[in-house]
Amino acid sequence: MTTLPAVTPAAERSAVTTAADRPGRGRRRSGTPYAFLAPALMLFTAFLGAPVVYAGYLSVRRVKISGLGLGRSSRVEQWAGLSNYTRVLTDSEFLPSVGRIALYGLIVVPLMLGGALLMALLIDGGRSRAGGFARTAIFLPYAVPAVIASLLWGFLYLPRISPIADVLNSAGLSAPNVFSSSWVLYAVANIAIWGGMGFNMIVLYTALRTIPGELSEAARIDGASDVQIALRIKIPVILPSLIMTFVFSLIATLQVFAEPMTLRPLANTISATWTPLMMVYRDAFIRNDIHAAAATSVVIAVATFALSFGFLKLVGSRAFRQED
Amino acid sequence: MRKAIGGALAAALLLLAAGCSGSDDDSGGTTGGGKVELTYWSWAPNMDKVVEGWNAGHPDIHVTVNKQDGGDPAVTKLLTAIKAGSGAPDVMQAEYQKIPTLVSADAIADVAGEAGTLKAKFPDSAWNAVTLGSESVYGIPQDSGPMMFYYRADVFGKLQISPPATWDQYADAARKIHSANRKQYLGTFSANDPGWFAGLAQQAGASWWGVQGDSWTVNINDAATQKVAGYWGGLVQEGVIANTPMYTPDWNAALNDGTQVGWLSAVWAPGVLEGNAASTKGRWKVAALPQWDPAKPAGGNWGGSATSVTTQSKHKKQAVEFITWLNTDPAALKALAGTANIYPAATDATSTALTSPPAFFADQKDFYAIAAEAGKVSNPFTYGPNVNVAYSAYNDAFGKAAEAKQSAAFTGALATMQSTTVSDMKTAGFKVAG
Amino acid sequence: MAVATAVAVPVERRNRRSPAATALLLLGAAYCLLPVLWVVIASTKSAGELFSTFTLSPSTHFFDNVASLSDYRGGLYWRWMANTALYAGVGALASAFVSAMAGFALAKYAFPGKSVVFNLILAGVLVPGVILAVPQYLLLAKAGMTNTYWAVLLPSMISPYGIYLCRIFAAAAVPGEVLEAARMDGAGDWHAFARVALPMMRPGLVTVFLFQFVAIWNNFMLPYIMLGDDRLFPVTVGLSGLLNQGATQPAMYTSVVTGALLSVLPLVALFLSLQRYWQVDLAAGAVKA
Repeated sequence: MTTLPAVTPAAERSAVTTAADRPGRGRRRSGTPYAFLAPALMLFTAFLGAPVVYAGYLSVRRVKISGLGLGRSSRVEQWAGLSNYTRVLTDSEFLPSVGRIALYGLIVVPLMLGGALLMALLIDGGRSRAGGFARTAIFLPYAVPAVIASLLWGFLYLPRISPIADVLNSAGLSAPNVFSSSWVLYAVANIAIWGGMGFNMIVLYTALRTIPGELSEAARIDGASDVQIALRIKIPVILPSLIMTFVFSLIATLQVFAEPMTLRPLANTISATWTPLMMVYRDAFIRNDIHAAAATSVVIAVATFALSFGFLKLVGSRAFRQED
Repeated sequence: MRKAIGGALAAALLLLAAGCSGSDDDSGGTTGGGKVELTYWSWAPNMDKVVEGWNAGHPDIHVTVNKQDGGDPAVTKLLTAIKAGSGAPDVMQAEYQKIPTLVSADAIADVAGEAGTLKAKFPDSAWNAVTLGSESVYGIPQDSGPMMFYYRADVFGKLQISPPATWDQYADAARKIHSANRKQYLGTFSANDPGWFAGLAQQAGASWWGVQGDSWTVNINDAATQKVAGYWGGLVQEGVIANTPMYTPDWNAALNDGTQVGWLSAVWAPGVLEGNAASTKGRWKVAALPQWDPAKPAGGNWGGSATSVTTQSKHKKQAVEFITWLNTDPAALKALAGTANIYPAATDATSTALTSPPAFFADQKDFYAIAAEAGKVSNPFTYGPNVNVAYSAYNDAFGKAAEAKQSAAFTGALATMQSTTVSDMKTAGFKVAG
Repeated sequence: MAVATAVAVPVERRNRRSPAATALLLLGAAYCLLPVLWVVIASTKSAGELFSTFTLSPSTHFFDNVASLSDYRGGLYWRWMANTALYAGVGALASAFVSAMAGFALAKYAFPGKSVVFNLILAGVLVPGVILAVPQYLLLAKAGMTNTYWAVLLPSMISPYGIYLCRIFAAAAVPGEVLEAARMDGAGDWHAFARVALPMMRPGLVTVFLFQFVAIWNNFMLPYIMLGDDRLFPVTVGLSGLLNQGATQPAMYTSVVTGALLSVLPLVALFLSLQRYWQVDLAAGAVKA
């Protein structure tokens, strides 16, 4: 998944309940809210809670094989302590894959959000008749699943098939091999940007539309240019939306998986441990070592929590705040 | 709008009901009247049509084929099902190199009691692959993949090259072709196809795993494999062989437009060429694999699989009955070769089922004679319990080497493969000698 | 940056056209449409042409490709499409309903354990699907439900993010006074929810439905792991299988390309027809068209 929507802060503000709105106040049968929550909690427990706990359990177990490992009795499951964690964290492939993801995030998040913000501002500015068309066109990739998007771009990347290479060649330039080690990170990043820009654009555009027109109008009369209006008025107002899109893009970055997995058979340069989640996949399905996979999963989950909550703390956003 | 959503929902629920009841009879087990239901996971095309022949003649044992995406996904799913304790099929197509892994995970059953007498019907190398050299029998050989050399006869003719009999001649041909046309290559070194490389190493005399008493040996970085890696590293470094993977759209385009004019492949190649390079029909020919020492011809295998019974099957006896029919009955062999497009492992298949060459090689009457010859000279090769680890190390290490185009990186990649494989086995607890 | 050249011209009147703005917007649109254009053109080519003719010159084999795709294993592709509609449609519908109830409870009731529940759900937003797939499989296998429609449908019905959104929608769109009034009239809690709150939350629920629809449609791992029978596959898993047939079989590129195009079309149509729901002004809890 490349995108998770962010909620505009306006909603957060209005979600603050007024006194009259204050729920319940102990007046009702106390079982009611639990009844409403029951289906969600049951499903949550069965398909999120239990698997997470189970993954935690698996991460401290291991299978011990003895001898040739060919008989039924040569395989025992046993307590592993933290050995799976030390194994994962000292795996020579783990840190490079984390570094790769950091670099990947540095490319994807600013370019995707920058592009989305630019397009949203341009459409909101109303200076072009192309706005409506562009909005639809840019949003379109959101309807394309990551696996299919990677497949399409994979074709476009191959020099013999790519129209871009055709154009460059006819101009006398040699097209770069996008799967070479110096380009491959950008090749994967491009797919994520392509798939995620439109959605973020819509979120930011929606936020921009909540700004009263008079605000920009007044600034314009004071002689402010469109750029000044964008920088001094519009962007500060939608900053909370930007922060939320940033957090969700960050989470999506940490979870990049489908794009490199789909491109992998096309290139020499994408290893089985190219990203941390691919390492989980390798351990669980290629190495048949579900315990190491579980340990890596736990590490990734903890890092995701720490990063996203840490960031929200840092910017003091109250996006996840409850209203009571 | 609401009506449309409602309609779609109703249709979806209907489908759901139909699907759920439908999947019930897939789950195996006995239905009334003693009829046995077996499920069979296979990725060979049209296997369901081959199995129709069985179902027509055996009303008591009904087999349902579940088409799989390929050897790797099928094994992934089988191992997950074994771990979970349910969900595995009764019968499973298993590539030879996966059999030790599956045995080690207790996923496939020993059928020595039911099928031990079939040994004589198969070549030794295939039978060895299902027994792992022991008294147990972990499946019945289904198909094999002796390696052969495919080349564009028109290009060879124009440049007056004859098909290479030795690897030295192959290298010369590669140089000649590439210098005549800088865009043309005789082949590519594919870092994404460990099975291909293993076949070439097998030809050179390597056997990557072995059993010594109660411990495993790992010999990936042996002299024979070093020779093969160095040979290909040299050609890639020289630039006369491409370094991009096989089975990509780019590779297909190269086969089509004549920039890849040769392919070291196996007996099943005509199907792939026909599907991916149909426009080149009539221009290809096949020859035996180039040799290291023409005085002692040797061969290797790429691909090939057995049919095994899983440990979760509740109908082992009936399942063995079915897989015996599938891999030894003349009618079944004919269907395997003609309908499912595979090269049956049974020794008498060549005479009974494979009388005319594949359609894509209609002009080459001796196609199956060459294949049979290639099958006979295959060197023995033992696979270990963590082939997947070794193969994924191959992808990563040789991917880097192919990208670097340095001969030294190719031989260095073997050392990485060896140490990754050994340390994985030791971590898991296998006893490894040396 | 580019913005400067685009809109830096000081102007007095609104709505003066800016060629630079138009150029940038069209550039953005072209970038997003390029792969779409490619797949449309590629789907008209025969297997030979796909790899031999100029990439962007169309051919005439579209219907042949559709026909051969439809022939594959007795029309299996269309079954994949129906499966996808089932997984994403029913899953998202159920998820929207479950989320609506939970979001309503979290927004409109005070009860012990509320913040624990809410924080748990927030944490759930962050857990990637790839991590869940294996333990989910092992647990569902214990219930004997793997390789059935339920194996994909049930896990798709829970969406922590949907619950989070619904809570905001319920807080914003359903005034306490209205609920109070309904209760005064003697309506039960269920009635107040189903007849009063649910209709008011509807635009937001469409958004939740669409989010979850996309999420299920996008989730490759779950069906890939859960399903052994290719008649149960959704279209993404099916197409990926066509592409990766293993070494001994040719990949079916024309079918994959045509199938990819056909599979994306319904979703694009759905998105464009429901485009206004993507602009739900969360502040007002209503749709601004």
